[in-house]
Order: sequence, then C-alpha cells, then structure tokens
Amino acid sequence: MALLELEEVTKRYGQLLVTDRVSLRVDEGALVGMVGPNGAGKTTLFGIISGDARPEGGRVSFDGVTVNRLDPAARCRMGIGRTYQVPRPFGGMTVFENILMATQQGGRLRGRESRLAAASVLGRTGLEGLANRPAGTLGLLGRKRLEVARALATRPRLLLLDEVAGGLTDPEVAELMDVVRSIRSEGVAIVWIEHVVRALIDTVDRLVCLASGRLVADGAPAVVLSDPSVREVYLGTDVAADPGART
Amino acid sequence: MEWANAIVQGIVTGGFYALFACGLSLMFGVMGIINLAHGDLAIIAAYVAIALVPSTHLPMVWAFVVVVPIFALGGYLLQRTLLQTSLDRSPFTTLLVTFGLSVIIENVLLEVFSANGQSITIGTLITKSFSVNTTITISYLSVIVLAVAIVVLGGIQLFLSRTPTGRQIRAVADDREAAQLVGANYRHVFGIAAAIAFATVALAGLSYGMLTEFVPTSGVTTLLFAFESVVIGGIGNVWGTLVGGVILGVAQQIGAQINPAYQILAGNLVFLAVLAVRPRGLFGVRTA
Repeated sequence: MALLELEEVTKRYGQLLVTDRVSLRVDEGALVGMVGPNGAGKTTLFGIISGDARPEGGRVSFDGVTVNRLDPAARCRMGIGRTYQVPRPFGGMTVFENILMATQQGGRLRGRESRLAAASVLGRTGLEGLANRPAGTLGLLGRKRLEVARALATRPRLLLLDEVAGGLTDPEVAELMDVVRSIRSEGVAIVWIEHVVRALIDTVDRLVCLASGRLVADGAPAVVLSDPSVREVYLGTDVAADPGART
Repeated sequence: MEWANAIVQGIVTGGFYALFACGLSLMFGVMGIINLAHGDLAIIAAYVAIALVPSTHLPMVWAFVVVVPIFALGGYLLQRTLLQTSLDRSPFTTLLVTFGLSVIIENVLLEVFSANGQSITIGTLITKSFSVNTTITISYLSVIVLAVAIVVLGGIQLFLSRTPTGRQIRAVADDREAAQLVGANYRHVFGIAAAIAFATVALAGLSYGMLTEFVPTSGVTTLLFAFESVVIGGIGNVWGTLVGGVILGVAQQIGAQINPAYQILAGNLVFLAVLAVRPRGLFGVRTA
C-alpha cells in the first residue's frame, strides 16, 4: 500500500488552476524528486499534502486514511513533516528549543525522551554547536539545516523537502545531501522539490515533473529527464548538464 | 520626605497596573488581539465577588478560588468561539468585537448592579497599614497586590520560557503556520493563552475591587493605564510590563505631589515621552 496517495487533486486560486487533477503515489521509504519550472504548482502541492492548502477537488490519503479535512497539526502528528522553501524558524527561541518543540508536539514525546530525541536531531543535522543560539541569528545554511532538523524532529514517516539546497554553495549542498541520505536510510519516505537538478538526480530513485499544474512525467531520473515533454518544459535546456538550471 | 512617599506609593500602584496589564500584553503578543473589553472583564470579576460573598457567606479568599478558574475557563471558551471567529475574518473585526463586548458588559453591569459605587470588603485588612517613618505609610493590601503582581508576572515568565506549553505559546506567537507544521494546534494554544490572560484579569479585577470603589464603567479608565504600562514596558516583555506599570505609577504620584490635578496628566506625559523616544517601549523587542 502506498504511504501517500493523491487522487485527481485540483486547486485553484481564483481563475488560476495551480494543480490540475494531479495523481501521485509515494511508497514507504521512497525518495522521490520533484522538478518543474517556477509556478508549476510544486509548493502548492506540498501545501495540499501538509494541510496548509485546501484542494477544491480530489483526495489526499496518508497511510490509508483520507486526510483532506485534517489541519496541518493533525497531519504532522500522523507523520507528515514539511520544510518551507524560505526557512521559518521561531526566531525568538534557541535552535534547541525550536527542535524540542517539534519533538514534543509533532513527535509526541515528553520530558527526558523529548530532550534526547532533540539532541539526537541536533547531532544528525550538524547543529550541535549552535544549540543555544537564538534561531533568528542563524545564517542561511544554519536556517536551512534547522528547517530540516525541525521537520525531522516531528518524527515523520513522510518528509516533504522544499528546495533545501537553494542558495547554498556546492560544499554546503553536499553536506545537506548527506543529511538527507541519512534520513532516508532510516526508512523515512521523502519527496524533494529542488531546482538544483544535479543534486537530485544523484540521490533520488524516482523523479516527477510538474508543469502548469499537471504531472507531465514520472519515472526513473534518466528516463524523465530525456522525456520530450520535460525537455519542452525546460525550453530545450539540457537540465541534467546544467547544475543551476532555473527556468 | 513627601517625595519619597510619592515614589513608594507609585511603586505599589505600579504593581497593580502591571497585574492589570499583563493579560492585555499576553493577548496582544500571542494572538494580536487588542482586547478593548479587558478592563470591563476585570470589573465583572469584582462584581461576581461582591455578589458571591454575601450570598454564600464564604470568606473572601474563596472568591479567588472560584472566580479565577471560572475566568480561565471562560477565557478559553471565548477565545475558541467568538474571538477565533473574529480573528479568522480580520484583526479589525476583532477590535470591533471586543469593543462591542465592552459596551455590552458595561450596560449589563449597570442594569444589574446600578451605577452606585461599591467595593469588596475584606474585613480589617483593607484599612491596616504600616508606617516606615512619619511620612511614609503603606497599606498592607497594596503591598500584597504588588507581591501578587510580581509572583504572577514571574510565573508567566517561567511558564513561557520553561514549559512545553509555554514554548508552544511563544512559537505560535512567532509564526502560527510554522507552529502548526510541527504539530501545534494553534487554536488550542490561543485558547490556553486566553485562559491565562483571563485568570490574570480576574486577579486584577478582584484586587481593584479591594483597593478602591468601583462602578460599572471603572474598567475603561483603568484599561488606559494598562495600555500605557504595556507600551512603556514594551509589548511582549513580561518584566517590561512591570517596569512600565511602576514608571506610570511613580509618574502619577509625583504629578499628584506637585498638584493633585496633575496625577493623570503626569502619567500621560511620561507615556507620550516614551512613545516619542522609544516607540517600541523601553524593553521592546525589535522584530525582524
């Protein structure tokens, strides 16, 4: 059974159709990359899965349960974790408190257990040295790491990563990739939106492409990237060869 | 020595202002609600106490035991229903709704309790005081209220910084969507914050009823001082509110020392001066 299943999901903003009958299955432990030009509806699709956006049509089910009517907090507690494209840490709280809050709420842990879990997340995401820093004072890499750490701390079974590598230098991207691979190795399913296509194809085992709200390709990375409709979407650019491909 | 007395009296008055203001500060800081009914709610607490105590013949202490939890529960329910519905529309709607609440409360209180001044009698404590020297005499009651204010503000501060629920309140105040995303139900958290705010309103109202005579419209006047304390101290800063209250209280007492007619004016002038020099208040946090 699929962990996440979208059936014919449709979302409009006024007259604009942002997702058009999108159907997608993500299996337990899968690592799926999601590409597509700006405005293709990738982030909106994440919003529909996490509960931030309500679709007008279609069904979203997680672990066999239809979650359309559940709010984001309830979905988080069920095991859906999400990061924002622009990190949104709780600026007045320390890095540790940000993570602790996630282990206690989404992760449903208490007391000592929640602290141990938070400490372990700190270690895995390379934030140990910054534990007591107010989150608002972090730099971009620190914020990106914290964004992943906080989502990870909710103990998700499905993690939605929205451009965690965007704006980072190559060595920084490589560091974050290691973090993502280690999360994946624990059996957490990941759907990963990334503009840095090269970062994706080295890591994912499946790639989906979204364009103008529709799913235009779904399959092995090499197959998807050579798909004519995907090439058309990227205006003929060789996406695989251009690491910073941004349309 | 009269000046020293003015300062001492100002400090104890400031404690009351801070107690009155902390709920206001919490509701604004967490939910973004400017609760114009805050003062009237406090007066309800005082009226409930004078209605409750003679009819049940219970000692005054029981008024606290009963009224404060009822207010906390009422705060949670009001937040989850009326206030949340207004918030879902717009901040302006919320302002209008609390203004409407204020008008309704005042009129109902006038209808039920009349416009005659009343006060909560607590036996001999209200009149007892101790003298530091020949000019400085402090009433026990005002010192108790100051102590309660410090304990309440300190308690809120500890609660917010040390407990999981307090952390949720801070997170939701910062970014409610992101808080939802890590599993915090912000509506419930708002309810908890309102419950705390309403509990402090009840304490403030009961203190007010013991310290001075009150009428159904007393809440509005006192609300102004609460607003000034919050703004002087800086929104979202618990200890700032205490300092704000004390600064306001001392300014008013010094004004009164110069000329009794200047009491309120002096407080308002200090408030304006702080607004002009530090619009975010003395201890306000700069938001990014």
